Amino acid sequence: MGLFSNEKKVDYDKIVDKMVPDAKKEMDESQYDTELGLNMARDARKVISGKLKIEDFHKVYSSSLTKEFGNYYASADGPDIRKGDGPKWAMVIDLKKCVGCDTCTVSCKAENRTPPGISYNVVMESLEGEFPNIKAVNLPRPCMQCDKPACAQVCPTRATYKLENGIVAIDNDRCIGCRYCIVACPYGARSFDFGESYEQEMQGANDVTSPEYGVERGNREKGKTPIGTVRKCSFCFHRLQRGEEPACVETCIGDARFFGDISDPNSVVSKLAASPRAFRLKEELGTHPNVIYLR
Amino acid sequence: MANLAVDLKEKSTSKTKINVQVSKAFKIWISALTVAFLIGGYFIVERFITGLAATNLSSITPWGAWIAFYIFFVGLSAGSFLLSTLIYVFGMEEYERVGKAALFTAIVCMIVALTFVLMDLGRPERLLNAIIYWNVTSPLGWEVHFYLVYIALLMVELYIAMREDLVRAAKKNTMQGFVAKLLTFKNSTINAATKKRDHMWMKVLGTVGIPIAIFGVHGGTGTIFALVKARPAWNTALFPIIFVVSAMVSGTALLLAMYVIKKKVQKQEIDKNMVVSLAKLMVGFLIIDLGLQFYEYLTGWYGLEAEHLDTLGTMMASEKAWSFWIVQMFLGAVVPITLVFWKKTSENINALLTAAVLIVIGIIGVRFNIVVPPLVVPVFHELPWGNYAPTIKEWMVSVGVVAMGLLIYSFGELLLPIEETSDEVSHNGK
Ligand code: SF4
Ligand code: SF4
Repeated sequence: MGLFSNEKKVDYDKIVDKMVPDAKKEMDESQYDTELGLNMARDARKVISGKLKIEDFHKVYSSSLTKEFGNYYASADGPDIRKGDGPKWAMVIDLKKCVGCDTCTVSCKAENRTPPGISYNVVMESLEGEFPNIKAVNLPRPCMQCDKPACAQVCPTRATYKLENGIVAIDNDRCIGCRYCIVACPYGARSFDFGESYEQEMQGANDVTSPEYGVERGNREKGKTPIGTVRKCSFCFHRLQRGEEPACVETCIGDARFFGDISDPNSVVSKLAASPRAFRLKEELGTHPNVIYLR
Repeated sequence: MANLAVDLKEKSTSKTKINVQVSKAFKIWISALTVAFLIGGYFIVERFITGLAATNLSSITPWGAWIAFYIFFVGLSAGSFLLSTLIYVFGMEEYERVGKAALFTAIVCMIVALTFVLMDLGRPERLLNAIIYWNVTSPLGWEVHFYLVYIALLMVELYIAMREDLVRAAKKNTMQGFVAKLLTFKNSTINAATKKRDHMWMKVLGTVGIPIAIFGVHGGTGTIFALVKARPAWNTALFPIIFVVSAMVSGTALLLAMYVIKKKVQKQEIDKNMVVSLAKLMVGFLIIDLGLQFYEYLTGWYGLEAEHLDTLGTMMASEKAWSFWIVQMFLGAVVPITLVFWKKTSENINALLTAAVLIVIGIIGVRFNIVVPPLVVPVFHELPWGNYAPTIKEWMVSVGVVAMGLLIYSFGELLLPIEETSDEVSHNGK
């Protein structure tokens, strides 16, 4: 009605309300308690808007729900609260801001002391379009810390596994070095440590310890270090433990990288991840990466 | 087995006299193998000291020659085992002469295959982790377990297949007799009842073994590749089936070649009818295999998926394409098929032997072309491409491992009654 009236301001909500069936009438027709239904609907809205805690909601209604639905209610799962209340780390990379300077690659190598031939984080470059309408696209690629990691799926020894904070970790003391995970990772994010070192170029390179997953492994030598096993980006696990951001995020000259807790709806990464520009690499594979790009 | 043989030789000189009759050819053969094994052994030791840096492998192409040989030997094993089931389960007695050899070959090939895996591991000393911390979603984790069950089954089956001969041999005063005495029980006998029992068990074990070999051991090895969705060229449902069929091809070819070579060296009569029919069987499997491969490549090509096309391109039209066109297709398929079907050569033992040997070599090419090209192509076009060819060290280690397998086989054949003598053929397995 409002559409055709002369009212200046159209109240769209009212239009919708007209379409919505009358709750009281519907409930009266059903076999269930009308008042309970209406009250629950009212309080559910409060829960959504944050005025009421979900736990209180359950406290108020649980006894009447049991009476109303009996076993059906009792057998349902309890309040849906995430196991463990720590953060779940995610990274957002804004491709419009990335200038392809490779600072992240270099700072990652310096931070994680990776040997020759191993880069946890690389910037892939490609030209798109036909000359003269071409543009360069820079695509930084750390480990995606997938929610359904193909690498952990295939690891025969469970040496690769998913931590509750979202990071996919390698137990270098268990890994047998079969390299199945390297073959299976769709993002090429894993490298095998062949034991090479910078010794010729840099005196004493082997005396500097690498902070793999915060474990102190001593000098780079056979047996203790990840030599003979697989390595990968860990979102700078050791830095997170100290409350710092990953090295690549901190050093990015274009401020293209954002890091934070994706399970917190108010965090920067959550908001960016919800942007229409957001996408993930090779989404069709179902690995569900926790590195999100903005196109 | 090899160790056992050495021990025995030393002991036999001091204690009771045991006749050791080995031919001159056998001595030359063993010395050549020992030399090869020692040279290879040097490189194996070196590989354990320096680690995988001795190879041309990289993080882009993390699997190479050793993995290719590993699937080759698993294939040989599954193939020769399945051939043995034709005899013991389906009663195709025309192949009886190669029955026990097939089982023993299957065991030795598994030992060789697992040794190649051991060579390939970054941390070989932790091999058992795959059993201790079994990850049930990992195809490789499943395979390790399947291999163990399969080897155990093969050993039991071979023992039962040899039991009568062992009992008979135990009475002789030869090395074989000595080993037979160790392996049989005092009251072991041969009579109608035990014959029936042995035969029943052969059938049962063979029947249980068929699904294990097809789905577990070799289909499963194909599954290791087929389940990797990051590599489109492997990620097809046909892949495990191709593995099984090409296993039959190589297993049959190997047994045929071994049978003919052995008989020639020992200057014994060759069962020509069996050779001709086995050759037909082998080429039949090969043609099925080629048909499956054709559809595999066609699907990949028609799908126009960039990585898949790149892989096919690497395999068929790069500087490595010789291994596809010359080894896999020409030597491994065209020539043997011609030899077996061409009137002039189809009855000629030497021609059929050549065909069998070429097929075995061709399947090695197939295994390399399965492993390497999909791993040369990176997962993103922008990442560096792999460039893999085995190093001399990788080849030498492979020579050493294969020589070890042949040594085990030769000593096994010397000490165990694996060879069929003509009088057994008529009643064994029926
Ligand atoms: S990007 Fe690769 S290495 Fe990282 S979690 Fe995903 S599958 Fe594993
Ligand atoms: S290389 Fe190590 S981490 Fe990777 S699959 Fe093998 S055992 Fe697991």
